Amino acid sequence: MAVSPLVAPTIDMLPSSRPASSPGKRLPTSTVPSSNDNGTPRLLLPGNRLGPDGGATPAVTLDPIEQLNEDEKRKYVKGKKLGEGTYANVYLGHARHDPSVLVAIKKIKVQQQYQDGMAPDAVRELKYLRELHHPNIISLLSVFSSKDQNLNLVLEYLPLGDLEMLIRDVDRVRYGAGDIKAWMGMLTRAVWFCHDNFVLHRDIKPNNLLIAADGEVKLADFGLARAFADPGRRMTANVITRWYRPPELLFGARHYGGAVDVWSVGMVFAELIIRAPYLAGNTEVEQIALICKQIGTPTEDNWPGVTHLREYTVPSDVVPVWGKDAYMGRFGAVGADGVDLLVRTVALDPKKRITAREMLEHRWWRTDPKPTPKEELPRKSAGGEEKMGADLKRRNGLLDGEGSNGVQRGAKVARKLDFGALAK
Amino acid sequence: MSRRAPGGGARSSAASTASALPAISTEDMCPVCKTIRYLNKDMEFLINPECYHSMCSNCVNRLFNDGPNQCPYAGCHRTLRRKGFRSAFFGDLSVEREVDIRRRVAAVFNQAEDDFETLADYNDYLLKVEDLTFDLVSGGDARRRAAEATLQQWEAEHKADIERNRKAGKEADEQSRRRLAAEREAARQRRVDALREAEEEKLERLRTREAELDSLAQGEAGTAQRVQLKRRGQAAAHRAVDAAVSAAAGGNATSDTALGFMSIRGLKEKKKPPAPEGPYDPFGGLDFVPSRYKMHAGLTHPAIEKYRADPAHITGGYSFAEYTARAMFEAFAGLGVFIEDEKEVGIGLSAGEVATISAGIAAVGDKMELD
Repeated sequence: MAVSPLVAPTIDMLPSSRPASSPGKRLPTSTVPSSNDNGTPRLLLPGNRLGPDGGATPAVTLDPIEQLNEDEKRKYVKGKKLGEGTYANVYLGHARHDPSVLVAIKKIKVQQQYQDGMAPDAVRELKYLRELHHPNIISLLSVFSSKDQNLNLVLEYLPLGDLEMLIRDVDRVRYGAGDIKAWMGMLTRAVWFCHDNFVLHRDIKPNNLLIAADGEVKLADFGLARAFADPGRRMTANVITRWYRPPELLFGARHYGGAVDVWSVGMVFAELIIRAPYLAGNTEVEQIALICKQIGTPTEDNWPGVTHLREYTVPSDVVPVWGKDAYMGRFGAVGADGVDLLVRTVALDPKKRITAREMLEHRWWRTDPKPTPKEELPRKSAGGEEKMGADLKRRNGLLDGEGSNGVQRGAKVARKLDFGALAK
Repeated sequence: MSRRAPGGGARSSAASTASALPAISTEDMCPVCKTIRYLNKDMEFLINPECYHSMCSNCVNRLFNDGPNQCPYAGCHRTLRRKGFRSAFFGDLSVEREVDIRRRVAAVFNQAEDDFETLADYNDYLLKVEDLTFDLVSGGDARRRAAEATLQQWEAEHKADIERNRKAGKEADEQSRRRLAAEREAARQRRVDALREAEEEKLERLRTREAELDSLAQGEAGTAQRVQLKRRGQAAAHRAVDAAVSAAAGGNATSDTALGFMSIRGLKEKKKPPAPEGPYDPFGGLDFVPSRYKMHAGLTHPAIEKYRADPAHITGGYSFAEYTARAMFEAFAGLGVFIEDEKEVGIGLSAGEVATISAGIAAVGDKMELD
C-alpha cells in the first residue's frame, strides 16, 4: 500500500464549469489516493483533459492520458452480457492477447443523481480494490472508460457463483464442518486483511462472497467500503445489508470500527451452519427485535451507554443474553470451539466483540476437523456465471429483490421463510 | 538366490536347454542313472531351477552331497548345488520355469492399482511388465538379456519402493483377513443373540401366562377383562421392544457394512502417498506486524484526547487502537521505498512510463492554464 504522491496532480481538479468528460480517464496513471481522505472522490473526479473546445475533440489528438486509456481498453475484449442492473452491467470478457484469460467487466452506468461526477459506490470500489491485493479479495485488473464516458472495471472472473448459492441449494449441495471452516477461514482472512489495512468493508454477506474456479472464496463488492474514520468524524449508520447489520448500526451509532464487519462475519457463519439467514428481519425494527430475541436484549448492563444511542429502541420484554449452551443445539455442528467463536463474533457490545485478528487466533482453526482443501470444497457448476453477473450489478447494501429492478429476483431469496412470525 | 543367473550368457544357455526339456510324467526313467520306476517304487524326480534338468533324488544325493557339482546332462555345464533342488510342481517343466520367472517378476514389479492416477496408467504398466515377462520367458537371447538387465536394474534402483509395496500388500491381506474374521464373528454373535432372544421371549410368554392364570384364579369377577387388557398392553410393549431390537440390529448391520466399506476406503487412502501439508495457518502466511516501529498500548495524541471520553465513540465501538495503528502506519508509509528499486510503479506501469505521463500532464496543464 504505497502511497504515491508522485503523480497526484496539483492542477485544478474540480472544473465545475466544464462538462464532465471522462471519469475513468485518469485512473490508469495509478493515482493511489491517500488512505485518510475518507471517501471523498477528490482524486478521481473528472478533470477535463481535452482541448479548449470542451470535449468533442476527435481522437486524432489523444493526450497521453487518453492514449493510456485507449491502450488499457484495447487489452480486453468485451464479450456477452452476464447481467444488467440499474447500477452496472456486467460482461464476460477476455484478454486480447490470450482468449483463455477470462475477466468480468463491470460497466458502471452514469447515474441520474451523480451527473457531475461518478457514483460514490464506484469511487469506493475503485479506491479500495486498487489497493487491496489478497487471495481472498476480488482483484481489480484494470480500469478504463469507454466511449460513452462509462467507467469499466475489469475484475477477475469468478465462475463458480457465490456462497449464497451453495447455502441455499440444500438439496444438491452438501457440506460439513470442515468445509464451513475452510470458507470461514477465507472470509475471516479477507476481513482481517481489510481491517489491518484500515478499510471497513461494510457489506459482508454470502452474496458478496464469490467463488473462484479453484474454490477460493473472494470478498467482492467494495461499493460501501471506506477507510477507518478519524476520531470525531461521523460515518453513516445506514450501511450493511439489514440481515447482517450489527446492533450498533441499527441503533444509529456514527462512530464505529471494524467490529461492524465482524458481526456480519458472525451472521454469515451462522447462516453457513443452519443454511438459512439467521436473523432475517423485514424492517429495521423487526431486525432489532430478532437480535433481542435470538441473542439477547442490549441493556446498560451488557453494553454500557447503549441506551443513549440515537435510535435505541428495544422490545419491552428484556431477554437476557444467551449463553454458549443455548447455541449448542442449533449450531453444534461446528463443535464447541466453533460455537465459542460464533458467540464471540455476535457479542452485542462492539467493544467486547472479537476482532478479525483475534478470530484468526482462535483455537477452532486448529481443532479437528481440518479445513477442507479449497480444491475439494463443494461447488456448483451451473448458474455461477449468471450469479456473478447478478452479484456485481447489484446496488450495495440491499438484499436481492430490494431496489428497483430486483422484483423478479426476490422470489428466490429465503423470503418465503416466515421469520417475521418469530419476532412476535 | 539360486535362480539369479551369474551372467547373461550362462543364462541363455540354460534357457536354450529349457526349451527342449523332457517331460518326466511320460517316461518313468531317470535320464541320468536310467533307473526305472519298476526298480524303485519311491523314485522322485527333482529339478534345479538353474537349468531345469530333472533327475531322480538318488542321483541328486549321489552327485551333490559332497558339494557343488556340474549338471550331469551332456552339454550342460551349469554348476548345481544340493540346496537348489526341489520337486517340480508342474509336469511340464517349461510351465514350471515360466511360473518361476513370473513369480520373480511379480516380486519386483509389485505396484497395486491404487498406486496409479488412472486406470489407463495402470494398464500401461501391466502391459510393460507383461512384455518384459514374455521376453524373459520366450524371447530370443538378446531380448532376454535386455529384459534381465532391466529387471535387475529396476530392482536395484527401487529397492525401498518394492519393499514398501510388499509390506503394503501384506498389510492389505492381513486387513482383509481380519475384516472377514470380524464379519464372521459378528454374524455368529447375531445368531447367538437371536437365539437367546427367542429363548427369553418364550420364557416371558410362559411367565405372563402363569401370572394371568393366577390372577384369574384369585381375582374377583370382572377383572378378567382388565387382565386381558393388561396382557394386550404387555404384548404391545413386547412388540415395541421387538421392533426396537430389530431396528437396533438393522442399525448394527448397516453400521457393520458401513464400517466394512469405511475400512476399505481408508485402506485405499493409506496407499496413496500422503500429501505434504503443514498445520493450517489461519493467517494464510501473512503478517502485518510493523517492521519499522513498535506499537505501544498508550499511544495517543492531544487532538484525539477529547474523543476518548466521548460516549458516542465508546458506545459505537470506535476503536482508538485502530486509529493509532493507522496513524502510525501512515506516518511511516513510504519510508524505505526507493524509486530506483521499484521496478514497477502502481500496477503495470513502469517508472519511465509514469515519468512520461507526468510530463504529459504538465504539458497539457500548461496549455490549460493558458485558456
